[in-house]
Amino acid sequence: MKVFIAGKGVISAIGNNVAENFASLRNLQTGVSKITVLPTRYAETLPAAEVKLSNEELAQRCGLNSSEPRTAFLSSIAAKEAVADANIPDFKKWRTGFISANTVGAMDKTETIYKYYLEDDNTDKLIEEDPYDEGYVTELVANQLGINDHITTISTACSSSTNAMAYGARLIKANQLDIVVAGGCDAMSKFTLNGFNSLMILDTNPCTPYDENRKGLNLGEGAGYVVLVSEEVAATLAKKPTTILAGYANANDAFHQTASSPEGKGNFMAMQGALEMSGLSTKDIDYINLHGTGTSNNDLSEGIAIQRIFGDVPKVSSTKPYTGHTLGACAGIEAVYSILSIENGIIFPNLRFQTKMKELDFVPVTELLENMEVKHVMSNSFGFGGNCSSVIFSKAN
Amino acid sequence: MALFINGIGCISPQRTFDNSEFLAEVKEYSTNRLTCVDADYTKFFDAGSIRRMGRLMKYGTAAGMIAIRDAGIEVPGAISTGTALGLPEVSQRFLKSLIEVDETIVSPTTFIQSTHNTVSSNIALLCKCFSHNNTFSHKGFSFESALTDAQLLVLENMDNILVGAYDEVSDYKYAAMKKTKELRSEPSSNLDVYGEKGNGVIAGEGAAFFVLAKEKTENTYGMFVSNKAFYKPESTEEMRNHILSFLKTNNSSLEDIDVVISGISGAKETDAIRIDLNKNLFATQTIVAYKHLCGEYMTSSAFAFWLASKMMKAQQIPDAVILENKNRSPKNILLYNSHKHNHSLMLFKAC
Repeated sequence: MKVFIAGKGVISAIGNNVAENFASLRNLQTGVSKITVLPTRYAETLPAAEVKLSNEELAQRCGLNSSEPRTAFLSSIAAKEAVADANIPDFKKWRTGFISANTVGAMDKTETIYKYYLEDDNTDKLIEEDPYDEGYVTELVANQLGINDHITTISTACSSSTNAMAYGARLIKANQLDIVVAGGCDAMSKFTLNGFNSLMILDTNPCTPYDENRKGLNLGEGAGYVVLVSEEVAATLAKKPTTILAGYANANDAFHQTASSPEGKGNFMAMQGALEMSGLSTKDIDYINLHGTGTSNNDLSEGIAIQRIFGDVPKVSSTKPYTGHTLGACAGIEAVYSILSIENGIIFPNLRFQTKMKELDFVPVTELLENMEVKHVMSNSFGFGGNCSSVIFSKAN
Repeated sequence: MALFINGIGCISPQRTFDNSEFLAEVKEYSTNRLTCVDADYTKFFDAGSIRRMGRLMKYGTAAGMIAIRDAGIEVPGAISTGTALGLPEVSQRFLKSLIEVDETIVSPTTFIQSTHNTVSSNIALLCKCFSHNNTFSHKGFSFESALTDAQLLVLENMDNILVGAYDEVSDYKYAAMKKTKELRSEPSSNLDVYGEKGNGVIAGEGAAFFVLAKEKTENTYGMFVSNKAFYKPESTEEMRNHILSFLKTNNSSLEDIDVVISGISGAKETDAIRIDLNKNLFATQTIVAYKHLCGEYMTSSAFAFWLASKMMKAQQIPDAVILENKNRSPKNILLYNSHKHNHSLMLFKAC
């Protein structure tokens, strides 16, 4: 049984919707710059890829109260775009799910509330919603979308939104749901900025994934969703779906809490598993959207695993030089980019790449490639806790 | 898809970590905050790890390892877990230090443990489980989603799925529950929580894990038949219809049910629907309650799952959990729990 992608929506540092993101990707326009929205002492020293809109502006765009977490605004904007894009007749008559991922929940709010709490553990601020409650963000958006048949939140660090899409597809295949809006969101927070900084894996310049001289990642924020539908729903659509979710796999590296194994065992198993499910061979993959964070460890493990599986490595690039690493949102955003690649026959470049890594035989794409035939795209996402997931998107016949 | 429960592990505010016991002695607390009775962690981790690990990391991981050992397996086929709030104590330690030093120098130790998937991946790390590893973090649906994930995995030809849930009551959460008047006032005995006097819940926590499999073993506790989650049901009437249709879908009926595990918590407003159903729908069933033992938290249905497993295997209902006794033996068990907008049903069958 096929699972079709009927719609997509995205917001990131390079645009507030799919069209703006696509234009920036084509124009090689990075979203990494000086921090201006998040109040932090690192504003001048650690670049990041922020959505350059205040909470008030975002809240206004999505119709939520401006006191809600920023993560919910990003989620709402992208999820609503995806649902509108799918334009499913009689949306209400189907069994519908909203499977969203995030890793910071309402952390942006906690940072403020917690300060008050430390001063007075009886502060009125405590009446606000629990800041570690990631499901709270999902329910705010589910309520807006009018979805209540199946709602849940996945939190597997940076692989979260791949697992959200996979879980949604599995529910459709098991005939439990007909439509699933799946993806993820995350906002910038001092918590994650200081956390990654304490691990010394943030680049003080715009990141350079897969470069021999890479120095780390830049954090980003955003949200990306796809609307997954069954064959039955797909048959009712005026706009024929361009893409199917052909394969996915979730594996665990079981090596270290925050580092990948040197041989990329989990990465290898995730890619291998996704290929097996899709029934495709390595030669069929036209493009890999890399996890490619820009850290020494990730790019090496992922690169070695790719080399082992593919031998003859297809075109690859990381789009994180555009968007930064958006954590729980990255696979949702990169799913949208992978689909754009298939729909438009375009492969986006790995910006700022200069020097080949000495351990690898391949280099990423460095220029925009147009008029390509892109039928099958693999997208990787790997996270803390050894969580490794890969997904394959294929052109619908 | 019905699955056999072949191994269990539970660490809670009661002495539940030893599978050879079954609530022989119930712990009474005179506070509105229940915390876990620790197991002997040296059986699971080396001294260095014990020092570095936060409290939930220890009892969550240990509960998972107890279930794996109980099932007599080395490596589960996959791991799927639920946690509503992740690891708030370590996350708050990181947050506190970052606020105190105004973002200057912070240690990564607590940050590393702050992602919600830490326990699930730590179990994978300890038993070298390279397979599917998922963590759901959605309020009162966290454990329920992990169960659905496990059922899907078995349909997809995996077996021996380790499924579980864990949460802790942090100082911050406790203060927030006090402030919102969710908590009943102190001092109060956990054993009196369902009485007429007082209003509000007792804060609780715990971890419970299960090995779910296609085949029965000598250690099987019973069968987990099915579960279903409901978002925002609005009335007793609506929930009543959901219950009847859930039973019908699973080729069962109200008459078949011997025992109902009720998520009654001591909060008058949210208990209204449960009390109504207990009185009017479940008139012939023995009704069992559990939140006086573990307290209220968003993944408490995992504790109820443990209780169902133990009752099925022992074919006995401890006096300490009986709310309404109709002298029925625990063959077919229905669990109805809810946390705010998240309601869920689970069905069990003794073997």
